[in-house]
Amino acid sequence: MTTASNHKPADFESYWSSTLAELSQISPAPVVEPMPIRTTSDATMYGVRLTSIGPYRLFGYLSIPRGRGPFPAIYQLPNYGSVVEPLPQGTALAKRRRYVTFAIAVRGQRNADQPFAATFPGLLTEGIEDSLGYIYRGIVADCCRGAEYLLSRPEVDTGRVTAAGSDLALITAALDPRFSHTISAPGLFFDTCAVAAKTKGYPLEEINDYLRYRPESRAKVEKTLAYFDLRWFAPQVKATTLLVSGAKGELLGPEALHPLIEALGSQITVYETQHSSYKDGLYAERWLTRQMGFRQAILPAAWR
Amino acid sequence: MARRVPDQYITKVKKPNDFDAFWQGVLEQAAKIPLDPQVTLDPLRSSEDVDVYNVYYTSLDQVRIFAWYCVPKQRQGRLPAILTMPGYISDPPISKEWARLGYAALTPAPRGKIRSNRQVNPGYPNLLTHNIVDRHTYVYRGFFVDAWRTVDFLLGREEIDPQRIGVTGGSQGGGLTITTAAMRPEIKAAVAGAPYLTGFIDAIALERTYPYDEINDYLRLYPQQRPQVEETLAYFDGINFADKIRCPTMVYIGLQDNVCPPETGYAVFNAIGSRDKQLYAYDGHGHDSGRYQHNTLVEQFFHTHLKA
Repeated sequence: MTTASNHKPADFESYWSSTLAELSQISPAPVVEPMPIRTTSDATMYGVRLTSIGPYRLFGYLSIPRGRGPFPAIYQLPNYGSVVEPLPQGTALAKRRRYVTFAIAVRGQRNADQPFAATFPGLLTEGIEDSLGYIYRGIVADCCRGAEYLLSRPEVDTGRVTAAGSDLALITAALDPRFSHTISAPGLFFDTCAVAAKTKGYPLEEINDYLRYRPESRAKVEKTLAYFDLRWFAPQVKATTLLVSGAKGELLGPEALHPLIEALGSQITVYETQHSSYKDGLYAERWLTRQMGFRQAILPAAWR
Repeated sequence: MARRVPDQYITKVKKPNDFDAFWQGVLEQAAKIPLDPQVTLDPLRSSEDVDVYNVYYTSLDQVRIFAWYCVPKQRQGRLPAILTMPGYISDPPISKEWARLGYAALTPAPRGKIRSNRQVNPGYPNLLTHNIVDRHTYVYRGFFVDAWRTVDFLLGREEIDPQRIGVTGGSQGGGLTITTAAMRPEIKAAVAGAPYLTGFIDAIALERTYPYDEINDYLRLYPQQRPQVEETLAYFDGINFADKIRCPTMVYIGLQDNVCPPETGYAVFNAIGSRDKQLYAYDGHGHDSGRYQHNTLVEQFFHTHLKA
């Protein structure tokens, strides 16, 4: 079936260039406050507030290693949920002595939930019938704002900066070519309507809920989602990429993601999940360690 | 130094002498508060086969608590029910999949989670250490009651068979499964994955990751508070609840769990009072605790104990 999501919108580039132009007109107005409770002998933690389009005020956890930099950096893009932690759950906190880390809370997430407090489920379809009003247009701008801020920090080795997360990591790396690496596990924005139709699991079930409730809106929903499809962002990604796919035969397995993988070009490693947070996490940590020029990965105790 | 084999680990958790009296007092306070349930159909989330409802009820301190309630549209007679307890940072799921298997399914959002955070909202990180120096005001005192009161909601529903209620969840959901099965004898079957909130003081020494490390953050800033913190946590530790469990119980853990150390999984399993208990320890798995392959066993377990 031919749907809007199978075709790149003719104005895809202008949609995003105008979004970034709008962002450039907004002063980030950063406010940085030390967070003593999250500061350790390895690193100092700061809470950072920034303004994105809207205007909308964001929040991020910035950790700076002690000692002389510059340090490689990890930009942690948010997963789908209300909570953003300083480091993702289960990450060895000792990584903070090696990397600058920056975890951004985008509009609607905790610490960036005033005046807009997102609901989960709910965020994925917020404003989805209007491509300019869709919440994720703002969220992508938020991610780019955070990237700008991180890359402006003098402690960051700008030759070694990784965008990590789900779909938003790849999108951010596409829109900001300064990222040297990205680790991305797509889940939301690959041929979204078609993939959602094959599952009953949230968060993609939100799309099914919405279209069941408002079937007359399908064309508008597909049109909006086409602006967010990873396939159309992929050619712009210059970063060396670790793409974490589903297992063979699964909805977002390597066969299904083939168009995305092809579009990402040669600087890509595809890793199929083994449905083990240990095996998947260990692979990603070792990949990142090698890519950043280190010999030993910093691992949680249970993985050593 | 090499780590001990997880199943040989000896927990440092000690049960306070007045543990039972403390919780009896909390339950007496809670019993005085009317549940005042409010149930509203959610047409957006309902599907061809499942009705989804927004539920609110009142809990300790008069806090209104939200829950998702899923009921199969096609049903005959009273239904078995499954409570799905939420993780620490995750937002409570809508458990349509249990409804499709013929259960009524309720998933609460205890205080502090979105939809239940108007009156109490410590945030994440922070929840784990909110008022941690005083067991009478520690946030998990109310949080546990919020979870336990889901049983009262189900008991008030005419479509529910009160003899066939189960509880499950992973991570914090696993910890809440342990405490709910312990404190609510109406629970007839329990499945806990990678239980959190068990072996707090073990976990903060064994692993250095969030969310348990929120406690180490707190103690680094307030080292003088360690005795009070340890005293409080003993009243909330799943290991100290587990001997009260009498229903068939399954626990599954990952031997490379980097969030909830497997040592604490063994410790809580060993403490479970039920004679009918099973442990699945998955080598090669972290905090996922082998869930991908284990889900089938969970379905079979509940089918055996709630439907057969």
